Amino acid sequence: MSKKILVVEDDVTTADYIASGLAQNGFIVDRAADGRDGLFHATDGNYAAIVLDRMLPGMDGLAVLSAIRAAGIETPVIVLSALSSTDERVKGLKAGSDDYLAKPFAFSELLARIEALQRRRPASSQVATSFNCADLNLDLLTRRVERAGKRIDVQPREFRLLELLLRNQGQVVTRTMMLEEVWDYHFDPGTNVIDVHISRLRKKIDEGSERPLLHTVRGVGYMLSEQA
Amino acid sequence: MRPFSAPVRVALISLAFSLLISVPVLLFVYHQTDTLFEQRVRGRIDDRQEILLRSYRREGAAGLVRTIREEIDSGRARNGAILLVDGSGRRIAGNIAAWPPTLPAKADWLEIRLYPEGSRQAVLYALRTVQLPKGERLLLGTGIEDRERMRASLVEALVGALLLAIPLGLIGGIMLLRITERRARAVGRVAARIAAGDFSHRLDERGEGEEFAVIANAINAMLERIEELVEQLRLVTDSLAHDLRSPLTRIRANVEKAATFASAELEQQALEAISIDIDRLLRIISATLEISRAEAGMGHEQFSSFDLSELLRDICEIYQPVAEEEGLKIEVEPSGGIAFVGNRQMIGRAVANLVDNAMKYAASGRAVSLSAHDTDEFAEIIVGDRGPGITPELRGDAVSKYRRLEEARTTEGSGLGLAMVRAVARLHGGDLILEDNQPGLRVRLILRRELARIAEV
Repeated sequence: MSKKILVVEDDVTTADYIASGLAQNGFIVDRAADGRDGLFHATDGNYAAIVLDRMLPGMDGLAVLSAIRAAGIETPVIVLSALSSTDERVKGLKAGSDDYLAKPFAFSELLARIEALQRRRPASSQVATSFNCADLNLDLLTRRVERAGKRIDVQPREFRLLELLLRNQGQVVTRTMMLEEVWDYHFDPGTNVIDVHISRLRKKIDEGSERPLLHTVRGVGYMLSEQA
Repeated sequence: MRPFSAPVRVALISLAFSLLISVPVLLFVYHQTDTLFEQRVRGRIDDRQEILLRSYRREGAAGLVRTIREEIDSGRARNGAILLVDGSGRRIAGNIAAWPPTLPAKADWLEIRLYPEGSRQAVLYALRTVQLPKGERLLLGTGIEDRERMRASLVEALVGALLLAIPLGLIGGIMLLRITERRARAVGRVAARIAAGDFSHRLDERGEGEEFAVIANAINAMLERIEELVEQLRLVTDSLAHDLRSPLTRIRANVEKAATFASAELEQQALEAISIDIDRLLRIISATLEISRAEAGMGHEQFSSFDLSELLRDICEIYQPVAEEEGLKIEVEPSGGIAFVGNRQMIGRAVANLVDNAMKYAASGRAVSLSAHDTDEFAEIIVGDRGPGITPELRGDAVSKYRRLEEARTTEGSGLGLAMVRAVARLHGGDLILEDNQPGLRVRLILRRELARIAEV
């Protein structure tokens, strides 16, 4: 199935930026410059995800979102907004969006989130109870983590962090995504707060192993993958 | 100090009013009834005197005696007193045994108890005595035991009416109080919601009490204005955010694009530096806007119930690894669950801000301490460090927007940290207090519980 993405954004530069980036990553992109057009496309096409600007001429982004959800369309939606306050974020999520990204954003952050949404969807229908990556195994039921058959002691949050990385394996998980998913806070912790958590986790799962699994994607975040 | 509570006072005032009205009315009725009775008695005595004196004039003493006997025999004087004595006081005729020695010879109205002839019981009479031309004295009277009975029942009625007036007055007072209280409470509730930043509520302008309608009207007009101003602020901040962020997003997109084409290390470094500055600029814009919005009371829509001590443990957990890398330790003073209703995201961010600050200034090797306490009215989060602290004169500056302390200039930051935290405190009806931690800085983030509870309703 083709991975079609609908980008609803009135700002041409931003729309170009998103569209070209997505195209480079193998997505087919449809564009709409206003809410009405966006809604029309959304009800018509079969999209893998919709990137929706919060402030659109004619029809507000959240109104478009509500209309899409009211029409029974379950396509994952990421809301882009210049309004970054936590309240606006919650409003967006309440209106039925699957994710919320404040402008400006690094394209890699948007890409990571779009790909995370692609993974989240099928996973919700069949409940996974364990995840594997090479010889790393995480069992959700027994709360055990093993590398090459050897048990690794992890703290509860490290377990959640590892679970997040495993659910998105092969995909980049950004620092803000980690803070959101693991601790449910939406502020920017700044400095290298998340990096230190990752380096501790890395020490536990990769130390002494010939093949490291937890990779740093410079300037974006982290990725768990068999390939280096 | 007032001796009574407000409800009792109102009830007493109402009672006093109802007595003030009913007592004079009852006294007037009493007086009128009494006067009427006396006039009737007087009239009866007048009539009898007229009859007796007429026969005296016509037929002399003998005629008078005959008429007296007739009166008595016919039973017409059954309820009355008649006595005729001669000049020396000897009885000539009548139904009274003897002329009472104290009785004057001439009196218009006397009230005296006398024994009717053949009776052992004294009866109260209203008497008139007349001096006849030939020395005889005539006593005429009517029994007024009736009046006593009437008076007694009048007093009974009076007391009964008073007894009725007391509960009625109290009930009236309580009802009045209820109505006033209900309206005042409604005003108070709306005012509390406004203080909590919710401007959407309005007072009922209808219903009992004109004065309250006037107050409600004025308050509603005020609310209209406040809501308008807050909405304007929201629009300004929103459009400012949009207008500033959109070009910045474009700059950033172009910088990223340029970075993919730039080959030289120097070009890459320059572009990276631009990116970093754009991010810093964005953080300042976001923080400034959020502070303004929080100060205007926006953010109440997102109030939810959560545990403050859990939040402290979360923040500690997030920052602990970084702290340890820097040779610090974050300690959370254990506390039981502290249920709180507020904006979890903003409080989390505020505490993170405080911890981040404490870590920046805490002397290496020392601990940053986190604790939470609560009372009925407030919940308090305390973040303490063992750094150089802030002198009392500079503490005010430390929390105001954009002011960074001179000595701290070398450390990175936008200067919005504590201002942001204070805005969060104010959003929750609280405050931010800086104190000496002996040594170090102790920051108390105070959040009001009451406001949160009202906002929840």
